[in-house]
Amino acid sequence: MKRIYRLTNTALLAGALFLGACSDKLDLVPTDALPADDIYTSGEKIEQALNGAYNSLSFGSMFGGDLQRDGELLGSNGALVFSGTYNDPAEIWRKEITTENVDVTNRWIRSYDIINITNIVLDRLELVNAARRDNVEGQAYFLRGLTYFELARFWGQPYSAGNSTTNLAVPLILDPVYILEDVTYPERASVEAVYQQAIADLKKAESLLDPVNGIYANSVAAAAVLSRIYLQMENWEEARDAANRGLELANGRYSLMGSYGDAFNRTTNSAEDIFSIQVSTQDGTNNMQLYFAATTFGGRGDIEVLAAHLSDYEADDERLELFYVDPAINKLRTGKWENQFANVTVIRLAELYLTRAEANARLGTAIGATPAEDLNRIRSRVGLASIDNPTVGQIVQERFLELALEGQRVHDLKRLKMEIDGFDYNAPELVFPIPQREINTNTNLRQNEGYF
Amino acid sequence: MKKALLISMLFLFLMPLGSQAQGRAVTGTVRSAEDGLGLPGVNIRLAGTTSGTVTDMDGNYRIEVPGPDAVLQFSFIGYVDQQVKVGTRTSIDIRLELDIDQLSEVVVVGYGTQLKEDLTGNIARVGGEQLQNVPVPSLEQAIQGRAAGVFVNSLNGKVGQGVTMRIRGSSSLNASNEPLYVVDGVPITSQSQSSSDAPTNPLADINFNDIESVEILKDASAAAIYGSRASNGVVLITTKKGKSGDTRFNLNYQYGYSRPTNNREFLNAQQYIELLSEAAWYRDVASGYFDDVVDPANPSRIPASVENHPDYADSWLEYMHDTFGFLAGHTDWRTNPANTNWEKQAYQDARMQEFNLSATGGGDKTRYYASGSYSDQDGILIGNNFSRISGRLNLDHDLKSNLLFSANVGISRSLNRRVSEDNQFSTPMQLVAQSPLTPLADPEGNLYDDALNPSMFYYPATKELHNSRFLSSVWRNMANTSLTYEPLKGFKIIGEYGFDLLTQNEDRYQNANTQTGRAVGGYGRSRWVRIFNYSTRLLTNYSTTFAEAHNLDLTAGMEYQRSDRDQTFVAGQNFPGTELTRLVSATEIVEANATLTNFSFLSYFTRANYKFRNRYLLGVSARLDGSSRFGVNNRYGLFPAASAGWILSEEGFLQNSRALSFLKIRASYGITGNAEIGNFEHLGLFGGTPYAMNPGLSPNQLANPDLSWETTAQFDVGIDFGLFKDRITGELDFYNKATTDLLFFRPLPATSGYTGITENAGSMLNRGVELVLNSVLINRSGLQLKAGVNMAYNHNEVTGLNEGQTIIDPGSSRWLNAVIVGQPIGVFYGQEYAGVNPNNGDALWFVNNPDIGEESLDGVRYLMHGGRIATSNFNNASKVVLGNPTPNFIYGFNTNLTFGGFDLGLLFQGVEGNKIFNGAGTFMSASGRYEDNQTLDQLARWQKPGDITDVPQARLYRNNGAQASSRFLYDGSYLRLKNLSLGYTLPRNLIESWGFSSFRIYAVGQNLLTFTNYPGWDPEVNTDYRASNINLGNDFYAAPQPRTIVFGARIGF
Repeated sequence: MKRIYRLTNTALLAGALFLGACSDKLDLVPTDALPADDIYTSGEKIEQALNGAYNSLSFGSMFGGDLQRDGELLGSNGALVFSGTYNDPAEIWRKEITTENVDVTNRWIRSYDIINITNIVLDRLELVNAARRDNVEGQAYFLRGLTYFELARFWGQPYSAGNSTTNLAVPLILDPVYILEDVTYPERASVEAVYQQAIADLKKAESLLDPVNGIYANSVAAAAVLSRIYLQMENWEEARDAANRGLELANGRYSLMGSYGDAFNRTTNSAEDIFSIQVSTQDGTNNMQLYFAATTFGGRGDIEVLAAHLSDYEADDERLELFYVDPAINKLRTGKWENQFANVTVIRLAELYLTRAEANARLGTAIGATPAEDLNRIRSRVGLASIDNPTVGQIVQERFLELALEGQRVHDLKRLKMEIDGFDYNAPELVFPIPQREINTNTNLRQNEGYF
Repeated sequence: MKKALLISMLFLFLMPLGSQAQGRAVTGTVRSAEDGLGLPGVNIRLAGTTSGTVTDMDGNYRIEVPGPDAVLQFSFIGYVDQQVKVGTRTSIDIRLELDIDQLSEVVVVGYGTQLKEDLTGNIARVGGEQLQNVPVPSLEQAIQGRAAGVFVNSLNGKVGQGVTMRIRGSSSLNASNEPLYVVDGVPITSQSQSSSDAPTNPLADINFNDIESVEILKDASAAAIYGSRASNGVVLITTKKGKSGDTRFNLNYQYGYSRPTNNREFLNAQQYIELLSEAAWYRDVASGYFDDVVDPANPSRIPASVENHPDYADSWLEYMHDTFGFLAGHTDWRTNPANTNWEKQAYQDARMQEFNLSATGGGDKTRYYASGSYSDQDGILIGNNFSRISGRLNLDHDLKSNLLFSANVGISRSLNRRVSEDNQFSTPMQLVAQSPLTPLADPEGNLYDDALNPSMFYYPATKELHNSRFLSSVWRNMANTSLTYEPLKGFKIIGEYGFDLLTQNEDRYQNANTQTGRAVGGYGRSRWVRIFNYSTRLLTNYSTTFAEAHNLDLTAGMEYQRSDRDQTFVAGQNFPGTELTRLVSATEIVEANATLTNFSFLSYFTRANYKFRNRYLLGVSARLDGSSRFGVNNRYGLFPAASAGWILSEEGFLQNSRALSFLKIRASYGITGNAEIGNFEHLGLFGGTPYAMNPGLSPNQLANPDLSWETTAQFDVGIDFGLFKDRITGELDFYNKATTDLLFFRPLPATSGYTGITENAGSMLNRGVELVLNSVLINRSGLQLKAGVNMAYNHNEVTGLNEGQTIIDPGSSRWLNAVIVGQPIGVFYGQEYAGVNPNNGDALWFVNNPDIGEESLDGVRYLMHGGRIATSNFNNASKVVLGNPTPNFIYGFNTNLTFGGFDLGLLFQGVEGNKIFNGAGTFMSASGRYEDNQTLDQLARWQKPGDITDVPQARLYRNNGAQASSRFLYDGSYLRLKNLSLGYTLPRNLIESWGFSSFRIYAVGQNLLTFTNYPGWDPEVNTDYRASNINLGNDFYAAPQPRTIVFGARIGF
């Protein structure tokens, strides 16, 4: 037996030596991801996190296209048909959205991802190189403000429905989440509160940013989005002034493209693009192309434009030239989204002219330009006759056509309190449900009317 | 290995025997009745004495006997004992019959072996002979129906792809529920390495004809020695060992074909025109068109010559007629429609063949088993094929009498020609969505598609077939080398090093004629994965008997495992034409990345088995596991187990029982773990997210330094019994598996920027009963009839989630699997379909909402239907639990009949108690919601007031009842004749003259008959692109299982 003990001891000793050598081998570190603390302590990495927020903004579920697509599908109003087999956009088009609609859920998730990153960036600004700090801060505010504005538009009752201080929008999260203990279970803030947050953020962005910032957000973009928000709130003065500031800042830096068609399918920003999602063959997603383009162009061809939409245009409107009959099937498509590797426009210069024109017309003012001057800039480009004293209705109609199928339709219909596919502008069916996963996880959230 | 081990054990037993013989000598040879080969190590004893001997390597023996009355007893484990009276003979040759009694068989356990009768845990053993000749690509499919409590389910009928195995239910929500697979002691890589959502199957790389046995460790006492990875059970695969003696060859060849087990019926051209026209007509009627010719009594009837009506010009009917014209291509849909049966186009003439040659032999010091094999099996789907070429060399060499070197090396290359995931238009089964009006090709023979030669809305697999390549190739090398030193009888020290090297390439090319490639001039991808998964073990084993009554077996050891996974992916587009298909010819590389990830385990384990007086059994084991996958605060986990058994049949009061030949009761309790999560989930991480060609970083996950093992406490109590000299043997087990601290991706409010965090939270229960019965009904010379049954009932229940959370919804508007406390995992949860409003054809759902009472009834939105409140607004109906996607009762039974040279084997396998959700119902049974062809049952649609039916009115582009609901939920129970084999073994005297030692010709049928109420293709299904722990029991254009028939011959020489 002694021999056995000796052998056992030898074996165990050998084993212990052998394994002692590997005990530290349990400390493996990932090679393809960085510890979060490395980001929170480096100004350079914080700037890269800001670019990560842009990346999230560019997701298909966001401005990579679904967000604009849903503005059109919800506001289709006889202009288009969703004939594809994807259930989630089909639900949105039919206004029969379920609480587990994946596209709705993904937009919510991605929006707060952007918000959290911008909150982190804003919280760690002191780490950022002082020379770039204002710029970084301004961009973070821009992204957060823009995101809150879209959240409020999709998940809250329209601002035009009134009761903005009691109607609920989405939770306002302004503090970063670094660790689990930072996670909160918030209630929904009012439509008013979320709009005001978006305004505050974009005002800061406008003041902190220069008018030139590469393809990233600049002061023109901040003013442009601000004008969009104020217009949505029917705050004509502020909408006019923001649009006017944007146009003044844009002066010499941006211009309308000579031909309407040149404003679309751009692999780099056009002179008209104030803010766009960057797409290339290497990177990015163009989901507007995915849904709107014919299969021949690599799209899904899910969204058909109806002939009724074309009849809204004047016969010699050059914008008509952009529509085409799908070479595969005998159906009408828009040519704005033909190239799958083209940038996805978020806001372009023409909208600022139309916003200023409408606001000026409503107020009887001529800040920056007369409504006619602004309107006719748009009309003359597409070969239409000038209108000397345009009515608000004419300007709005021009807006519908100029910005058709670019994602603004349902929001314009809602602020104009127009009926949409048989629904009142403020019908619960036109408001997204709070995603079921959020309701399940956070009992402080109240579901929107019309959803169980 | 079995024999070598037995020899040494027998030597051990014989040691005290000594020789005291006198008188004359008897010599002879002991052979196996099975193959006529000499049996080494057979124990020969002179009856009534303690003297005896054993046979040598060739089965020869010599023994001294006192006289003619002497009786010799021949015994060898695994064979039936024989006694012969010596008489006047000096030479006695013996043929020992294989013992069909299972109790004396040797069973492989974790880090060792044990006699089955001494087991105190629950281990199901499937012998290699049961796996031979089964015409399926992977091991689990061959095991299906053969082991109690082991639920094997193929996701679909694609060859060589995903198969799931659940042992005693699912115990985890987010960690893997698959067992740990160990080949010859080496934990292998068994997870899918697919780049697409459809999983591939790394077990299909194993040629299971090389397998000696598969042991499935089910209860905690059997599995706990594998500690943190044993909660889902452990599958021990042991490959064949060499047997010394002259080289014996075994050649097997089989050839056969496969067909789908089932076809589904879809509308023909005439029916399609009728239904879709009606769907369009509804839209016209609803918007006031044709109001002067609509028949109020039957508003669905389309009047004759409606095309002359003034409203026709811009009506939906005209739109639909135009569509028919488009769909019909060059044909005239009105007079001579194509009437294509698209389902048939999804299938090919599938053939399979397999060639297998093995050799075994060796001398005194060296033994080997070598094999080579080639198999080539078509899937039933067009373009689907799996082939494998493999080789194996298992070598044992005695360096010294007490020092054994072993090396097991297997290499293989698998090629899988794949088709797209079930949710892609390009997958063959989605061809059924095409209209029967559409011809396959135009008159010039060019295939129709949706863009380049358009006559369809959906891109067809027929086009993909000729314009693409999707080839997965896997090079696999599994090896284990070991050195066993036995300095003292019964004391062994074993050192092992083993690895599993998996190298996989997925090569996919879709040319400019395909959906993916056409806008970009062709699209190509290449993805390489290399996983080097190695492990080292050092273990000691001491086995002894003392004071005659005490048997002790001690094992202790340690193990280190590490796995590194490298991946490189490149995609490119715009190829010069369709001939040059490799990425080097791509004009532009559009994606390229490389990733690396790894994990490691460091473990210490020990086990003691003690047997007293051959009847009282005790076992204890423990393993201490550490893993890189867990947080610094909880890196190590301890997994102990204890078990006890009592062999009552050895007790005096039962020893004389005539009926009861064996009876054992046993019980075990132990803790096992689960560590199958991602590699770095305890860390807070940011990942690279470039944007606009600038570097970016985004948060991936929150840190959880406390992350630790998921633990399962399992209690098992069972009896093993044998009746009538073990002619009937059986096992009955009850178990309770309680899993706590689930590795759970706890949902967080996404408002935090994170959707969840991997935590130890929640709990799950599996509780069940298993019964195994095996019997030899008839066993006389020339005729043997055996029958076996295994059945298992399992109750699965999610018993808790994180605090405050009781449900995780399906997270999809199209699917129903949820996680709900108090319900089985993945339970179907959704709206309950109520049928159709007889007045207007609206689909209805029961509201199932106590807040909506009779005061809400308005006859349109809310109405009484079948005595309950129903609604036509889907969103106004509450979700309810609708059914369990997992069967709670699974069973198999088999019989084997041998008569003369003939043998017949039958294996039936079945499941009960589950439901299947047909997610494709929302397209294929959808009342004209799209232009998809519809299942035949849709003809029973509502047409006019008063119609009583479950199929709502057809409404073009509207959603009338096609939402995901109980409407598309069906009973998924089935019983299947899984395997039928019929063979004839040629008489030995005939074949020996040909130089063969054995010659069997046979036919095997797989999946010949299926009995089910499921109206879809096949009830064995879980659509590949969604399959997960939670997404269970779903069908979505999933190909049925193949019905395969092969003919073959097996020749020994």
